[in-house]
Amino acid sequence: MSEGGVPGVPGGPKVGVDQWVAEAEERREARTGLTGAVARAWERVPPPGRLALLLGPFAIFPFVTNEGNLFRYGLITIVYALLAIGLNVVVGFAGLLDLGYVAFFGFGAYLYGIMASGHSGHHLEAEIAIPIVVVSTSLLGLLLGLTSRRLLGDYLAIVTLFFLQAFVIFVNNANGGLSDFSYPFVGRVDLTGGSNGLDQIDPLNFFGYHLTTTRQYYFYTLISLAVVMTMLYFVNASRTGRAWRALREDPLAAEAMSIPVNRLKLLAFMFGAGTAGFTGTIFGAVQSGAFPGDYDVGLLITIYAIVILGGLGSIGGVVVGALLINGAPELLRSSSNARFLFYGVILLALLIAMRPWYRTVVVLLGTVAFGFVLHLIVGALWSRGTAGHIDGGGALGRALEHWVLLPTHPGRIAGWAYFGLIVAALVLTLVHGWWRTIALIPTLYLASFVWENKLVEQVSGATRLILLGALLVVIMNVRPSGIFGTARVEIA
Amino acid sequence: MPLLELRDVSKAFGGLQVIDHLSLHVDEGEIVSVIGPNGAGKTTVFNLVTGIFHPDSGEIVFEGDDVSGLAPHAITNRGIARTFQTLRLFLNMTVLENVMAATYGHTSATVVESMLQLPRARREERQIRKVAQEKLAFFGQRLAGYRHDQPAYSLSYANRRRLEIARAMATNARLLLLDEPAAGMNPNETHEITELIGRLREQAGYSILVIEHDMHVVEGISDRVIALDHGVKIAEGSFDEVATHPLVIEAYLGVRAEAEPL
Amino acid sequence: MDWSLFFGELVSGLTLGSIYALIALGYTMVYGILKLLNFAHGDVYMVGAFLGFFVLQWLGGPLTPAVTGWLAIAIMFGAAMLGCGALGVGIERFAYRPLRNAPRIAPLISALGVSIFLQNSALLLWGPEFRDYGTFDLIGVKSYSIGANFFISNIQIFAIATSIGLMIVLTLLVSRTQTGKAMRATSFDREAAEMMGISVDRVISSTFFVGSALAAAGGVMFGIVFGQIFSLMGFTAGLKGFTAAVVGGIGSIPGAMLGGFLIGLTEAFATGYLPGGSTYANLYVFALLIAMFLIRPSGLLGSPVIQKV
Repeated sequence: MSEGGVPGVPGGPKVGVDQWVAEAEERREARTGLTGAVARAWERVPPPGRLALLLGPFAIFPFVTNEGNLFRYGLITIVYALLAIGLNVVVGFAGLLDLGYVAFFGFGAYLYGIMASGHSGHHLEAEIAIPIVVVSTSLLGLLLGLTSRRLLGDYLAIVTLFFLQAFVIFVNNANGGLSDFSYPFVGRVDLTGGSNGLDQIDPLNFFGYHLTTTRQYYFYTLISLAVVMTMLYFVNASRTGRAWRALREDPLAAEAMSIPVNRLKLLAFMFGAGTAGFTGTIFGAVQSGAFPGDYDVGLLITIYAIVILGGLGSIGGVVVGALLINGAPELLRSSSNARFLFYGVILLALLIAMRPWYRTVVVLLGTVAFGFVLHLIVGALWSRGTAGHIDGGGALGRALEHWVLLPTHPGRIAGWAYFGLIVAALVLTLVHGWWRTIALIPTLYLASFVWENKLVEQVSGATRLILLGALLVVIMNVRPSGIFGTARVEIA
Repeated sequence: MPLLELRDVSKAFGGLQVIDHLSLHVDEGEIVSVIGPNGAGKTTVFNLVTGIFHPDSGEIVFEGDDVSGLAPHAITNRGIARTFQTLRLFLNMTVLENVMAATYGHTSATVVESMLQLPRARREERQIRKVAQEKLAFFGQRLAGYRHDQPAYSLSYANRRRLEIARAMATNARLLLLDEPAAGMNPNETHEITELIGRLREQAGYSILVIEHDMHVVEGISDRVIALDHGVKIAEGSFDEVATHPLVIEAYLGVRAEAEPL
Repeated sequence: MDWSLFFGELVSGLTLGSIYALIALGYTMVYGILKLLNFAHGDVYMVGAFLGFFVLQWLGGPLTPAVTGWLAIAIMFGAAMLGCGALGVGIERFAYRPLRNAPRIAPLISALGVSIFLQNSALLLWGPEFRDYGTFDLIGVKSYSIGANFFISNIQIFAIATSIGLMIVLTLLVSRTQTGKAMRATSFDREAAEMMGISVDRVISSTFFVGSALAAAGGVMFGIVFGQIFSLMGFTAGLKGFTAAVVGGIGSIPGAMLGGFLIGLTEAFATGYLPGGSTYANLYVFALLIAMFLIRPSGLLGSPVIQKV
C-alpha cells in the first residue's frame, strides 16, 4: 500500500483506505505541466469535437499546398492511417499478432484491378466493385483467421507472415504465360501481371462520376477515414468492443463469462481485413496499378510502427502516428531535409529528456567543441580525412563541413563507425548521471559522422527502415503503450 | 431432479488420475460446499463443469441436459458461472465494464447495428448498463457509484473478489461456482463474504457450489458438505457429519501413528 | 521411376535440411526458455554468413588463402559462431531483457524491430549484391557415387555431417552439463529456477549465445554449400527455420532437428516433383505448416502445454 495521510491528517499513513483513493492526491499532482494540461483538455472535448480536431488540419491541407505534396504527405498519410486503424482492431483491440496484414491491402488493390482495369478488360463501377472487394477480403480474413482458432499469438504471427509471403509469390507469378502454372478450368490466365504489376487500373467510378484529381481522391479518402473512425468508436463502446477488450485481457476468463472467444477473434480478423481491402481499392485506383513491391514487409513494419507509436487500442492515436511516421520518411527522401530532421530530432530529444537545463547546454557545447577540435587535429594530420563535401546542404551543410570529419573515401571506416555507434548507444543505456552526460558527447559526434558518411546515402531506403526498426525497439522499452495508449497492467 | 449432477465422472492428466468416478449433485436453491486438502481435485471439478476440460468418462448434467462436451461460453449461457481461485478480472477495464462484458451471452446487438448506432443497439446498451449497475449494487457501498469508472486494477483485494462475483452474476446464471471466495481475507472480510453468500441465495435465488478451505465459512453457509481427496468423494452430509468423519480427519491430519516405545 | 532425380533431391533436401535444422535449434531453444519468437534469429544467421565471408577475405580470399582450405573454413566457422554468439547475447540484453515482464506482444514487436534493423544495416553497409564464398576455389568439389544413380559431393557430406555433429554436441550440452540442466529447469519454471539459485539472466544469455552460434554455423554452411550470400538471405531462411522448429515441436531440440530435415526434404522434393517447381516451393512448405497446425499443433515431437487454471 502507499504512504500518505490518514484521512483528515495530511501526511500521515493512509490506513484502511483503498489504494486508488489514497493515491488520488499524487495523481492530481502528476498531471501538471504542459502534457498534463493538454491531456486534461483533451478529455474534456466530446468525441465529435476530438474527431474534428484530429482531422481538421487534414481538411485544410489541400488549400495550402501543391498537388505533389498533397499526394505524398496528405493522401498517403490518410491511406496509412486507414490501414493502421484496421490493424489496430486486430492487434490493439483483440490482441492478435497479424503479420500478414498488408496482404489484404494488396488483395484489395489487385481484386479491384481485376474488376476494373484496362489490363483485365472489365470496367465495373466502383459502387459495385468496392462492396465486392470488401466482402471478399473479409472472407479471406475469415479463412486466415480460422487458422488462429487454436493458435497462441506466436504461432499466429508466423502463419500470417507466411501468408504474406505466399501472397507476394502468387501475385508475382500469376501471369499466365510466363510460368508453367495452369489454372483449373480457365487454363493460363494473366491475373496479376506478374512482377510488372497489374496496370491501367480504372479510376474510381461512382455512378458515372470519375474521381480523377488528387484532390478528389484526397477528400474521398479523408471522408472514408472519418466514417471508419466513427464506426469504430461506436463498436468499441458496444458489447463487441467490450468483448474484444476482455478477450485481450484474459481469453480464458472471457470465455468463462459467456464470450465466444474464437468467434470474436474471427470477427476482428474480418474487420481488419475488410478495412485493408477497402483501402486497397483506393490505393489501386490512385496509382492506376497494383505492383507486388508495394505490399511487402517494409510496409507492414511501417503500419505496425504507426499503430504502436499511436498507442494500441487508441483510435485517434493512429492518426497522429501516421502523421509522424509518414511525414518523417517523406521528409527523409531528400537528404537535405533529412539532415534537418536528423539534427532536429536529436536536439529535441536532448531538450525533452535531459532534466537540468545546464546539462543539455554542457552536452551541446561540448559536442560542438569536441567536433571542431577533432576536425582541426585530423585535418592537420591527414588531409584526406576532411576533404569530403556535403552536397546540397545549404548553410547547415557548409557549416557542417567544418565540423564533421568527412573523409574522401569513407568506405570501411564508416562501417566500423556504424558498429561503434551502436555499441556506444547501448553503453549509454548502461551508465547514469554525469558519466552519461560525458559519454553523450563523443556519441553524438559519432552519430553525426555516421549520418553524414553513411546513412545519408540510402536515406529513402535502408536508412528509413533502420530508424523504424530502432524506433520499434525503443518504444517497446520506453513506453509500450505508445503516445496515446493508456498504461496497462498485466497479469504475469 | 437436481440442478447440477455429475455422474461417475473421471479425468486424468497424463498418468495422474485427478478425478476418479466422482458423482455429486446440487439441488435448486442449495448451497453446497466442497472441501478437501490441496490437490484433491476440487478446482478440476469446477473446470470440468464449466467446460474448460472435458471428462474422460461420465456425464455432467445441468437442468436435465448433458453439457459435458460443450464449449465454456456455451455452458455459461446455459446458466452456470464461476469465479476463479486466483482472480481473473479484466484488469485494464473499468469496474462497470467488467460486469457489462459478462452480459455478452444474453445480448444480441451485432457489429453492424452498433456501428450504425441503430435504436435497438442503443436501447440494449442502456439495458446492459442498468443490469451491471444492479449487480454491483448488490454489494452495497463496497462497489458503489464512484467506483464504477475506476480501472479494476485499482481495487483492493477484497473488492476484486466481490467484483468477480458481480461479474459472474451478470451472466444471468442460475448456478454459481465460487472457488475459494474467502481466500486471503481477514476475519472481518470473511464474515462479510459469509453473509454475502447467504444473501446470494436468499435475495437473488442462486444455487451455489463453493470450494472453501476456511471452515468457519463452510460451517456458516452450507446446507451440505462434500469432502474430496485424491479425486474421490470420501464423505458427504451436514457440516458436523463431515467434519467429524474419520476419513476426512485422516485426509487433513493423517492417521494417528503407533506410539513408539521409548 | 527416375532414381537419379529422386536421390538427387534426397541429398539436396538433407543438405538444405541440415542448414534449416541449425536455424531451427536456435529458435526452439529461445522459445523453450522465454516463450519468445525471436524474429531476429534469421538475421543473425545472415550476419554469421557475412562474418564468415569477411574472415575469408581477411585470410586472403578463396583463391589465395593464407592457410589451407579446410583450416580456413574452420576459422570461418569459429569466428562467425563467436561473433554471432556475442551478437545474440547483446540483442537479448538490450532488446528483450527489459521486456521480460511486459505483455507478450512487446518483445515480439521488439524482435521485429531488431530484425528490420539488422537486415537494413546489412543492406546499408554491405549492399544488396551477392558475395562469393568461392568454395570451389577454396577446397575444390569432389563428387562421390554409389551405383549409377546416387551422387553426393564432399561439400554435401560436410554439411550434413557437421550439422549432425553440432547437434550431438548440443544434445550433450543440454543433457549432461550443469548449464544444460539449468537451461531445462528455467524453461520449465523460471521463477522456481531463480529461487533454486540459478542465475536466470546468465542461463538465458547462454541460451542465446548457443542458439545464435548455431545459426551462424548455418549461415557459413549456406555460403559454403551454395557459394553465395546476400544481405536479404535471413528473412526466408528464418521463416523456414521457424517452420521447422514448429513442425518438429517447438521447445523440443530433437524436434527442431527432425523438423529441419523435414522442411529441407519438402522443399527439395517439391521443387523436383510438384507443379510450379522452385517458384512455388515455399508455398508447399507453408502448406505443410498449416497442415501441422491443424492436425497436431504441438508438432511432431512436442508436448502439449497444460495450463493450470
